Amino acid sequence: MAAIRRPARARYVLAVLVLVSVTLITLDQRGGGKAITTLRDDAHTVTSPIQGAIHDALRPVGNFLTGAANYGTLEKENERLRQQVANMQNQSLAASAEQAEAQRVLAQAHLPFVGSIPTITAQVVNSDASNFESSVTIDKGTSDGVALGQPVVATGGLVGTIVGVTRHSAVLRLLTDPNFVVGVQLGPVVGSAKGTGIGGPMQVTFDQPIQPALSGTQPKFSLAKGNVVVTSGLQGEAFPSGIPVARVASVAHSPNAPAPTVTLTPVVNVSELDIVSVEIWSPQSASTPGGNG
Amino acid sequence: MTPRTLGQLRVVALVLVGIVIQTTLGADLRVQGVAPDLMLMLAICAGLYGGAHQGVLVGFACGLLSDLFLTNTPFGLTALTFCLVGYLVGTLRATLLPDGWPLVPPVVFVASVVGIVAFLGFGDLVGQVRLLSGGRTVLVRTVVIEALANAVLSLPVALLYERCARGTHGAAELAQGSTESAFG
Repeated sequence: MAAIRRPARARYVLAVLVLVSVTLITLDQRGGGKAITTLRDDAHTVTSPIQGAIHDALRPVGNFLTGAANYGTLEKENERLRQQVANMQNQSLAASAEQAEAQRVLAQAHLPFVGSIPTITAQVVNSDASNFESSVTIDKGTSDGVALGQPVVATGGLVGTIVGVTRHSAVLRLLTDPNFVVGVQLGPVVGSAKGTGIGGPMQVTFDQPIQPALSGTQPKFSLAKGNVVVTSGLQGEAFPSGIPVARVASVAHSPNAPAPTVTLTPVVNVSELDIVSVEIWSPQSASTPGGNG
Repeated sequence: MTPRTLGQLRVVALVLVGIVIQTTLGADLRVQGVAPDLMLMLAICAGLYGGAHQGVLVGFACGLLSDLFLTNTPFGLTALTFCLVGYLVGTLRATLLPDGWPLVPPVVFVASVVGIVAFLGFGDLVGQVRLLSGGRTVLVRTVVIEALANAVLSLPVALLYERCARGTHGAAELAQGSTESAFG
């Protein structure tokens, strides 16, 4: 390791590049960075096919690395899944009966959003380049019907929303991103959940005071660990109602606080996304006759 | 084409390959949800092996490429951070740090911590308060895991960088004490 000793030149270059950086940040922050947005979009457009090809070619390597990096976690996951399969086999008969009952109830209630929202299947080709924002790039864009603000789901539930779109690719903000907020519902109680970053839980704020164990005068409702929170789909919400978002991970009661502090674990493991579905839905389409949600 | 030009082209190619790997395979290397930052590692290696001048240039390029693939943070924030980290490592390398491969992982660890904290600090300064919204525990965990992951991967990345910047012949000369740099 030998070093170069040209401090004056290095300082000069540093000063110039710091000024360039600050200028770029200022331009971007002040909203005058249309060229910057175009540059970012172009970068995604150019690189997404390459990344898609590399993603496909190196998937076995990626799977191996994932396994190596998370060996202990995978062992626990396998054990948990074996247990879950056993439980599910026991519950399958009861579940199918309940599902038939639920379908009858939904049909009677005329809930138009169930199963009627068209979707576009897309593959994740590019994961987030930073540990401080949660976004991925998918291989479908405006040419496929993807538009800004559309909800994205995967097996299990909500994944995020489209925040950037080019002709052949789109950027999806995951629900773990600190900028992500979604209206949620748990039983009769509505509120909003927000991300706190990759690996961190989601935090939920309820719009009304709730008690540790609600019963009696209120509808049957339990704020218990493991309960699933779904999108509320209230007017103006960016998501249709009824999409599973997260499970209650912890409930902490404070004597002085009007409501307990609730953290959530997303239903979908966003760190292992591969195939997702973009819902062709918007709040505007929902409010039109025949719209969804 | 001079050996120096060839070295520069190889480093440019390495940086481009680096951003593609970071954005395609980076997620597969996540531990507890945190991925190593190959571009930050390249900036640090440039400072270590090329000095402050090379550290600034490569750091800025790596940061700018990373910024292209970030959607929530201002364009230029990563470039600002990485060029400062490259300069800092290069300056310390010239004045303070001794030679030796065993030094690479600890230097990369410390420089990574400094880089990530600087990124968060600059982000907070320009109004990106959400970067800190995860809370102290999440932030400390993220910084430590990313820095450790960078340190673990630092030796192969450093070796690759050195080979690219100097070529096989240059690396042999380097081992004998030459101080020529691909970036001059």
